[in-house]
Amino acid sequence: MMNLISPETLTGKTVRRPLPRRRKSGWLWGVDTVLLVYALATIYPLLWLFISSFKSVRDFSANPFALPSVWQFENYTRAWEIAGIGRAFANSVIVTLGSLALTLILGTLTGYILSRLNFRFKGVIMGLFVLGMLIPIHSTLVPLFIMMKNLHILDTYASLILPYAAFELPVAIFIVAAYLTSVPKELEEAAMIDGNGYWGIFCRIIMPLAVPAMATISILGFLRSWNDFAFALVFINDQSLKTLPLSLSIFSDGYGTDYSLTMAAMSIAVIPTVIVYLIFQEQIMKGMVAGAVKG
Amino acid sequence: MAFVNRLRGFVVIGLLPALVLYVVFVLVPIVWSVYYGFYNWKGIGAASFTGLDNYAEALRDPIFWRALKNNLIIVAASILGQLPVALVLSLILRKSTLFHRFVRSAVFMPMVVSTVVIGMIWGYIYHPQIGILNVILQNIGLGSWIRDWLGDARINMYSVSAPVIWANIGPYLIIFISAIQNIPSEMEDAAKLDGAVRAKWLYLIVIPMIWDTIKVAIVLCISGSLKAFDLIYIMTGGGPAQSTELLATYMYNNTFEVFRYGYGSAVSSLIIVISLILVLGSQLLMRKRGV
Repeated sequence: MMNLISPETLTGKTVRRPLPRRRKSGWLWGVDTVLLVYALATIYPLLWLFISSFKSVRDFSANPFALPSVWQFENYTRAWEIAGIGRAFANSVIVTLGSLALTLILGTLTGYILSRLNFRFKGVIMGLFVLGMLIPIHSTLVPLFIMMKNLHILDTYASLILPYAAFELPVAIFIVAAYLTSVPKELEEAAMIDGNGYWGIFCRIIMPLAVPAMATISILGFLRSWNDFAFALVFINDQSLKTLPLSLSIFSDGYGTDYSLTMAAMSIAVIPTVIVYLIFQEQIMKGMVAGAVKG
Repeated sequence: MAFVNRLRGFVVIGLLPALVLYVVFVLVPIVWSVYYGFYNWKGIGAASFTGLDNYAEALRDPIFWRALKNNLIIVAASILGQLPVALVLSLILRKSTLFHRFVRSAVFMPMVVSTVVIGMIWGYIYHPQIGILNVILQNIGLGSWIRDWLGDARINMYSVSAPVIWANIGPYLIIFISAIQNIPSEMEDAAKLDGAVRAKWLYLIVIPMIWDTIKVAIVLCISGSLKAFDLIYIMTGGGPAQSTELLATYMYNNTFEVFRYGYGSAVSSLIIVISLILVLGSQLLMRKRGV
């Protein structure tokens, strides 16, 4: 209410205020409105997906923008059973956890060794990991397919877990290395004087300290393996091993006209990532930007 | 000596698993794709050495060039669509108010969703019968604009570029915000004292100061275009009549639809070469303007 009695209204003259930044001009309100519209437009397709997933097919076609006339929660149970989404969900969990475990253990260990210890060929090995970041992963599909065929690991969980972990390693290594720069070396020296070997230092000092870095790696790794499509498309043929994105893609070529079933299935795939995102937003944004430099 | 040996043992045992995994699944495939590119091989039976035939055939194939052109359209759409929007947004959104954080989170949101889902959602938006884009156009009196957005070969590359832009503004926004926050605030104050108007401030101070970041962003746009495979595979599969073919879908279709593994490998190698040329070329072009 104080603002109503401003110097202008009292005197009719413009008075220079001590804190001009505080004032929210009409122009700024305009900017905020545009921002709000833009933000809503960005999330609208996802909102539309969730809302549509509760509609009947007829309701979906007749009122594409309205809220459901009747909320069809059974779309989700139907998608879970009929479309085999339950199986796909389980496969995605197995593959994601497998590759995460591998990425975390190897990434942390390698990141520690490459950033804190001195030895020959260190530069070369670091260079190899950097080099890998320049490679467009889709160009490795054909040779990886041929190689896995020869190794007889096509159509197994390993055919996804191993390449996911391998391609995630460089990011993991760099995140750990960057994080460890803030840890004083004296800690390791003290531990060594206490009679710890390198393994002891790694397990008792580095791993517990690197938990925040490992959390970032886990979140990024989760999003990448959970959402991957290209590798699953090429390396998995067995219906019972298909991951969520792969199972969903069956609906994409016009074959699935049961839109509500499809929408529910898509929502089931998206909900875990949205939950993870809402909890860890800041960490995800920072981590992805750090990892994005990977290209 | 025992001390040195212990270090060596730890380094070797510690590095070996990661190195083997990484070399086998990331580096070896690249060497193999160059190698297999020299062979005519259908996936089964004997492979026959054909020298550079596969590479020459790809370079003579008009579809290969169309795929490359389509990839470049995606690059252009990313650079011209994502970067300016992200830059403008980053100038407005660099303060950490609750509202600004909400907008940032919303803009970043599509990044965490599977490209399959994004492709399918946009498939529904563009759908000729049930598509909400056509419904909107009809309702606001632009019925004449209604068309088959993904089926019409004259416009479908632009249609598929929209979700690519939409989904990927977030990371550039965050990159630019952190770059701008690194500009010393004295620069901004000095510019204000000098009476520099906002546009001039942007052009004379912000852009030169974050030029390195912009360069990184352009490299990311280039490599991102080579990753657009998933989205376009879901939305159009490269069709109709190969009008939305990308290098990656071209490679995929040749390898796994018509089983020409040798040819697909050659195309894989060319993709690596092309992406390196684009990245290095863009860096050279921008070096002149660097400050």
